[in-house]
Amino acid sequence: MSDAISVKNVSFAYKTDEGQSLEVKALDNISLDVKSGAYCAVLGPNGSGKSTLAKLIDVLELPDEGTVCVLGNTASDESDIYAIRERCSYVFQNPDNQIVGTIVEEDVAFGPENLGIPNPELRERVDEALKYVGLYDLRKREAASLSGGQKQKLAIAGALAMRPEVLILDESTAMLDPVSRDEFLELVEKMNREKGITVLTITHDMNEAARCQRIFVVKEGKVAMEGTPSEIFSKPDVIREAGLELPADIGLVYELAKSSCKVIREDDIKDKDARIASAVRYAREAKEVPKVKQLKKHENTRKILEVSDLSYSYDGGKTYAIEHMDLDVYQGEILAVVGKSGCGKTTFISHLNGIVRPQSGEIRFINEDNSVLTTSRKKDIAQIRRKVGLVFQYPEYQLFEETVRKDIAYGLVNMHAPDVNIESRIRGAAIISGLSENVLDKSPFELSGGQKRRAALAGVLVMKPQVLVLDEPAAGLDPIGRREMFDTICALRETGTTVIIVSHNMDEAARYADRIVCIKEGRKAAEGTAAQLFESEQKAREYGISMPLLYEFSSKVKEKLAKEDPRFMMMPPLPDPAHEAASIIRGVLSC
Amino acid sequence: MLSDISLGRFVDTRSVLHETDPRLKIILYIVYLVAVFVIGTPQALIALFALTMIQLITARIPLSVTWSTLKPVIPLALFIFVLNIFTIKQGEILWSWRFIEVTDVGVSKAVLMSLRLIFLILSTSVFLTLTTTPLKIADALESLMSPLKVFKVPVHEASMMMSIALRFIPTLIEETDKIMKAQESRGANYDTGTALNKLKGYITVLIPLFVSSFKRAEDLAVAMDARCYRGGNNRTKLNPLKIKGRDIVVFVLFLAGAAVLIGTDIYFK
Repeated sequence: MSDAISVKNVSFAYKTDEGQSLEVKALDNISLDVKSGAYCAVLGPNGSGKSTLAKLIDVLELPDEGTVCVLGNTASDESDIYAIRERCSYVFQNPDNQIVGTIVEEDVAFGPENLGIPNPELRERVDEALKYVGLYDLRKREAASLSGGQKQKLAIAGALAMRPEVLILDESTAMLDPVSRDEFLELVEKMNREKGITVLTITHDMNEAARCQRIFVVKEGKVAMEGTPSEIFSKPDVIREAGLELPADIGLVYELAKSSCKVIREDDIKDKDARIASAVRYAREAKEVPKVKQLKKHENTRKILEVSDLSYSYDGGKTYAIEHMDLDVYQGEILAVVGKSGCGKTTFISHLNGIVRPQSGEIRFINEDNSVLTTSRKKDIAQIRRKVGLVFQYPEYQLFEETVRKDIAYGLVNMHAPDVNIESRIRGAAIISGLSENVLDKSPFELSGGQKRRAALAGVLVMKPQVLVLDEPAAGLDPIGRREMFDTICALRETGTTVIIVSHNMDEAARYADRIVCIKEGRKAAEGTAAQLFESEQKAREYGISMPLLYEFSSKVKEKLAKEDPRFMMMPPLPDPAHEAASIIRGVLSC
Repeated sequence: MLSDISLGRFVDTRSVLHETDPRLKIILYIVYLVAVFVIGTPQALIALFALTMIQLITARIPLSVTWSTLKPVIPLALFIFVLNIFTIKQGEILWSWRFIEVTDVGVSKAVLMSLRLIFLILSTSVFLTLTTTPLKIADALESLMSPLKVFKVPVHEASMMMSIALRFIPTLIEETDKIMKAQESRGANYDTGTALNKLKGYITVLIPLFVSSFKRAEDLAVAMDARCYRGGNNRTKLNPLKIKGRDIVVFVLFLAGAAVLIGTDIYFK
């Protein structure tokens, strides 16, 4: 097979406005080849040069050195640029920022219109693309009225209408919920399979990468590793060093193997069945239960927030975004709120500090001396806002001051907090959110994405809220960034702060939360520990959520172990691969 | 809240007038605009009223919608009425109190002026906002203005800008709402406190909104590049504007209506 993409010794540095190259090269003498019809992933931490690579392939940037050859065209002179772009489509991360047309079908037509495709072929292409992605019935709708998942499908349809040979996905699934993400990936895989389109996907999601045929790991502008998913993921140390992590299922196989001092081999993880079989094998080989750190349990039973019979409707009672919601939140716990996109999670958390006033029902905040503040009393609202901090999704978009220091202080100054040492509060908040002191005097707009998020978090923490509500705190971060964000959240709990997180990521919700509340169509569908909520796949589906990959995989492993030896003790699943491995081995050894 | 703001609310009743070519509707609109300002006799006003009713029925606009488009204009119409009635001093005095005098000319002028405003709003709604999507208006303007290309007027670019602006209005409204809530959580205040406080409150919204709009613009430009956008040359259109036989019938009928209107006015003058 020939190469669809061939990158040879390419270097690239972004330029300043004056045309000078920045010191740090985004790409440093990088080379890689992608075979025609392949389905590849590019992995790497933020700032490793992944997106730059993708932009060079679509000739949105030109290399400083080296050559980029796509479908036999070398990107250098003007005519070849369009020869490449016509056959190589690009889907970006933010669904809103790539839709040009107001109406769904007009947006799909935008690309072919630029190519000068005349009717009726144009109409044919648009209809075909819309049918392929399943948006044909919505073709006359306004694009802005679509959901996030539908918008990304629209972007795919727009790409498809160009009849491309190569499709580049630049973190296209980062802003989608698990269900939409799955649908999106299945669509892309279908295109790869049926139409033979070469797919290059840039992602932070290891589970997504594991579905590909080939993975390139990029680090500091170079390809650090290249191979099939099983080749790549059988080298956990290298993975970790590159700032990545193992997919949850492979993580469990790895932990099981480690307990008997073995290392996983490529064959162990080459497909789903192999992973289950090798997990079972390694579990049987174990001689003793590996030592793991005791999981911290939440024990405080003092109620801090009480939601009672909350309902809210955006359309005057025709449909309810939140309906008869009751919930108790306990001091010092981490509570995860999960549910499909559009189930009412964001509306719900917007009530918690009185930003949205309840139409019926109320939220009560219970002070330590048992006095109560309620959102139904107007004079209490200001106090509640001080005690319940709310951080919305992508909080970096709320920064506005000249310096990070001023921005962090804004809330504190604004709420007229009496007699506090503002400077020491700022420093304190910066430290907890993991922001180093030397960025405090910089403009918030100079910071990197991860730092911006931390600055925004600090801007809420500075008010020392007793309850902190976070909407998707790790959205769009790379694996290291995610881990650090959750470390921060756990550290906050240590200080006695109650944390409520909204999350799409079931593995993380299960891993970090003491309790999980699941919302389905505006109502509370379930509430309990991860083990209770994810007891079975069928139950999870009833609640409208997907299983954490670890649970799903582990339950298959345990079923197989129980089938082979009925004495095997089935324990409820634990949310961390190391703990789950220990629990499985304990079950095996007790036989 | 913010999402209630609607610019040129389109009501999709799929009437004949909805389907009519937007260029013809713009021309008709201009004709009626001129007619509304030219006529002055009561007979012509009655004819205009009848014609407007016919238009509203043809467009299948429900009365409630008509009322809601007129409601915000009524205070302005009243203001114009009062202004005219008290300032025009020609003609016979009908009523006076100290320095205030109401004359017959004043009354008829005041009625005419406020009715003009109301009919102006009604014909704007009937020909444009209620029956034509903003996108179609942009398309129609591009097509009507295209002769200006000879004079190097960037007609395509202007229409592209307009349609992108329209496309991003809902997105930006949503974003403004989000940022407002986020800043409110941090104690920002938009409607109470001193004027300085309020101003500061809005600044906390405007700066992030500008920053993100620039980011969006940058992203969108790259996305358009990636989708091979090269300006207006050699571009085709999925739904090109086409004047059909029915469009011409509608056009001629409404044009005739306008002619009758002006004819009535001249006859009774």
